[in-house]
Amino acid sequence: MSNTSEAVDRTQGGEQIREAKQRLGGLHQHQLQEQDDIETVDYKMVTFSLGGKDYGIDILKIKEIAKFAAFTYVPNAPPFVSGVYNLRGDIISIIDLRVMFNLPAQRKAEGSPEDGLILRLDELMIGVVVDSIDKVVGIVSSRIQPPHPIFGDVNIKYISGVVEKDGRLYIILDVDRIFAKDESAPDEPEPLTAAVASKDSGLSPYQESPEVPTSQGAAGKNEEELDLDFIREGLVTFKGFYPDEVSSTWLHRRYPEWRAERKQLGTEVQLTGEEDAEEFLRTFYSPYSGRFWGEDYVEGVKALLPEEMPKNISVWNPGCGKGYETYSLATVLRMRYPDHILKIWAGDKDLLNISTAPNLVFGADIIPTLYEPYLVEAKNGFAFSSQIKDAILFEYHDVANTNAVPNVDIIMARDLISFLPPKQQALVLNEFSDKTSSGALLILGQNEYVSETLGWQHVGSAIVNAYRKL
Amino acid sequence: MRVEYINPFVESAYNVLKEVLSVEIVRGELYLKSTSMPVLGVAAIIGLAGDVEGRVLFDMSKVTAIQIASAMLQSMEMEPIEELNDMGKATITELANMITGQAVTKLHNLGFKFDLTPPAIFTGDNMEIADTGVEALIVPMDLPFGKIEINVAIRERN
Repeated sequence: MSNTSEAVDRTQGGEQIREAKQRLGGLHQHQLQEQDDIETVDYKMVTFSLGGKDYGIDILKIKEIAKFAAFTYVPNAPPFVSGVYNLRGDIISIIDLRVMFNLPAQRKAEGSPEDGLILRLDELMIGVVVDSIDKVVGIVSSRIQPPHPIFGDVNIKYISGVVEKDGRLYIILDVDRIFAKDESAPDEPEPLTAAVASKDSGLSPYQESPEVPTSQGAAGKNEEELDLDFIREGLVTFKGFYPDEVSSTWLHRRYPEWRAERKQLGTEVQLTGEEDAEEFLRTFYSPYSGRFWGEDYVEGVKALLPEEMPKNISVWNPGCGKGYETYSLATVLRMRYPDHILKIWAGDKDLLNISTAPNLVFGADIIPTLYEPYLVEAKNGFAFSSQIKDAILFEYHDVANTNAVPNVDIIMARDLISFLPPKQQALVLNEFSDKTSSGALLILGQNEYVSETLGWQHVGSAIVNAYRKL
Repeated sequence: MRVEYINPFVESAYNVLKEVLSVEIVRGELYLKSTSMPVLGVAAIIGLAGDVEGRVLFDMSKVTAIQIASAMLQSMEMEPIEELNDMGKATITELANMITGQAVTKLHNLGFKFDLTPPAIFTGDNMEIADTGVEALIVPMDLPFGKIEINVAIRERN
C-alpha cells in the first residue's frame, strides 16, 4: 500500500516541485517589485476613528484590540473615565477619548459593546474607547509630519504627528503624553513670571511705558511722575483700579487729556474722591458696558471669530456683571455657529449682579433688534430663549480663587483684570494661558493690553480689542 | 458656584434653624473663599454627588454645638446635654442632614439632581480645612447660641 502510494507521490512530485519553483520564482519577482515600498515601512499604527476623523496610535503601545461591555462605574472619577473593566482578571481603567477631547460620540445601542484598544504604557495598562477600530497601517516614519493646529479637535500637545496614507490623513496620538501625569505644568508661559519679577524688582510700568511724553524738561517730568503716582493711588483707593499690567498704557494716554480737562475747569489734577476717580475712568470703560452690544460691536466680534471651530465651543466670561455681555456674546456665537454646541461659563464676584443674571428680564427698548430671533416674551418684558439661556452657566465666582472651568476656545474678560491687585492680575493672565490652546481668542477691555511676550497676538479691530493665542 | 445653587442653601439653612430652634436668626453677608480656613471646633460634613461634586460643611464652636443640640433635644422633650456626647453629635449631624436635605429637595425641584452622602462629624481643637480646586461659599448664620458657618463648595462635573 505504502509503496504504491509513494510511487504515485514520486511521479507527481516532480511536477509539484516544478510548480512550486515557478510559484516561488514569481513570488520572488513580485517581492523585488514591491521591495522599495515595503522595506522602508518602519512604523505601524492601529488606526481608528474619533468624531469622524482618522487617528492612529503606535502599534508598540498597544497590547490588544478589544470590545468593552459592562464597565463598572467609578463614582467621583473625572467624566472621561468610563469606568473600570475586568480584563481576564486584571482590572484596568477605561478612558473615553471622545469625552476627553470633547468630540461628539456615536451613540451605541444600550448594552452593545464599545470598540476600544488596550494600551500598555510602561507598567500601566489603560483601555480607551473609540468610535470604531479601522485597521493596522504601516507607514514610513520619515513621512510623519509635525502636527498643525488646523487638525485641532485634540489639543496639539497630544499629537505626535500627522501622516497621509492611501489618500487618508491620520493624526497620530502621543499616548505617553495623554496619560502622563502633570503634563500641563511645562506649558505654563515663562514670560509672565518674568513680568512679575520685573515688577517686584521695583520697575514701575510707568518707566517701561513708551508713551510717556518726553518733550518736557526733567523738572516737568518729575512733577508729572508725582501726579501720576498720586492718580494711581487715587484710582486704587477709590475704585480698586490698578493701572499696572494691562492698563498702564491707557493711564499714560489718559493723563495729558485729564490734565487739560482739569486745567480748563480750574480744578486740581489730583483725584480728591470717588467722583473724581470715576470721572478719570470715564474713557476707560469698554463700549456697551452693562448694556447689550449694538450692531457695530456684534459685527466686530463676529469678524474675529474663526471659520473653523470645534463642535463643542467652550467660553469663559469672568467678570460678567449682570450678564448683558454674556448674553450678547452667546447670541453672536449662536448666529455665527448655529449648529455647534455652545457652553459659556460666566462668573462674577458681585452677588447682587450675578443673582439677577440667570433670569434677566428687560424691556424691548434697551435691546437692539438684531437679538429679536433669540428672545421670548416674559412676564415683565423680554428674556432670552432657552437656546441662549441653556448655553450659559452663571456662577458666583471670584476670579482670584480657584475655578473648575475646563479648557476654553474663547475668553472674554472686559475691564476685569484692571480691577485686580497686581499679583492677581498676573495669576489671572497665567490662568488664561493655561485654559487655552493655540488659536484661542481673548477679548479684553477696550483699553487693556497684554504684551506679546505672554503669548498673545493682537488681532483686534478699532471696535473690539482682542488677542489670539500664538 | 452656580448662581442657582445659592438660594436653596441659604433659605433652607434659615428655615430649618428657625423651625427646630425657635429662635431669632440673623443671616450674615455671603462671601467666597478658596484658601484653607480654620474650623471652629465642631464640623459636620455632607458630601454631594450627581450633576455636581462637592460638600457642605457646618462649622460651629463646641459651646454653640452643645447649646444647639440641647435646644433641639429639649424641644422634643428630652434631656439637654452637658458635653458633646454621642447624642449631641447625632443631633448636630441630624441638623446638618435636615438643612442639606431640604436644600437638595429645593434644587431637585429646580431640575438639578444631587445625591447626598451620609453625614460625618469632626470635633477637635485647631482644625483647619483646605479645599484645593473648589471655591467655597460661606453662609454665616448668627444665633443667640453663637454662630454657625455653612460652607458650601460645589463644582460642576464637566
